[in-house]
Amino acid sequence: MKILSIFLFIVSAGAYAHPVIYQGGWALSSSNMPDYSNNYLMYSPSNRYSVGIDHWRFSQEAANTEAALLKINHLLWRDNGENHQANIYLHGGGGVVDQEWGSPGTHGMYMLGLEADWETRRLYTAIKHYEFHAPGKLDMFTTQARVGFSPYEADFKSLQTWFMLQGMIIDEVQEKVMITPMVRFFYNNVLWEMGSSTRGDWMLNLMVHL
Amino acid sequence: MKKMMALTLMLFSFTSFAKEINVKVSGMVCSMCAQGIQKKFSAISEVKSLDVNLDKKIVNIFTHDDKDLEDATITKLITEAGYNVASIERK
Repeated sequence: MKILSIFLFIVSAGAYAHPVIYQGGWALSSSNMPDYSNNYLMYSPSNRYSVGIDHWRFSQEAANTEAALLKINHLLWRDNGENHQANIYLHGGGGVVDQEWGSPGTHGMYMLGLEADWETRRLYTAIKHYEFHAPGKLDMFTTQARVGFSPYEADFKSLQTWFMLQGMIIDEVQEKVMITPMVRFFYNNVLWEMGSSTRGDWMLNLMVHL
Repeated sequence: MKKMMALTLMLFSFTSFAKEINVKVSGMVCSMCAQGIQKKFSAISEVKSLDVNLDKKIVNIFTHDDKDLEDATITKLITEAGYNVASIERK
């Protein structure tokens, strides 16, 4: 049980990276904050699509709403510039939600999402919006936005460091936008992020390209 | 003399050289994402090694002796990794 807990902690540090990667690639990703976590395992059969299993948790004081989904991510548009890359992604999925508030119980549900990013080797911006619906039972959304900069341009096999600011709102969980300064690192195929929100909530994210 | 020349020609005919192919790639701004390029090319038997230069946005592909990669293959692999080929140059 302890090993399972450690594993779940390690993978429950979801990251904010591309949801569709190279053809044949696998990614394990996780994001964790006290009020929120998102973990997924996904596979990209092409550089335009990925499919995966996705778990979300939203906490409202002692009550949780958890969703488990099969999810499809689609790279709708990409601009590969000489010194930048920009992307727009669509997300969709279906599964079950277990609610401890609103209409408690287990219900069928679906989610829809839209995500966009623009990055250079020194600058990063991204925004994403997800909606979760269980007709007559649940309607909630989360919106996140990020801006960041890297103090140096790292080589291919070097450690890359980013300083970022995240704004996030989770409908029904937070009344205000939660601002989280963070630091992001990536090295080879591993990305990890650590931060602390302005209200003192910790954040720990991890992504691995397998 | 003729024997020497024949021997030299024979030696050259058995000598082969690894090829270097320089590929200029668009959109290559993230080192973690560019790992996909390495994964795609590492799976190809003709490829001996590969260097990714993020500053110059160039992927240097070194093939095994006497092996080559067609432009179409290079373009396909770079595209599957999520990028665009700007140019291909052989040395």
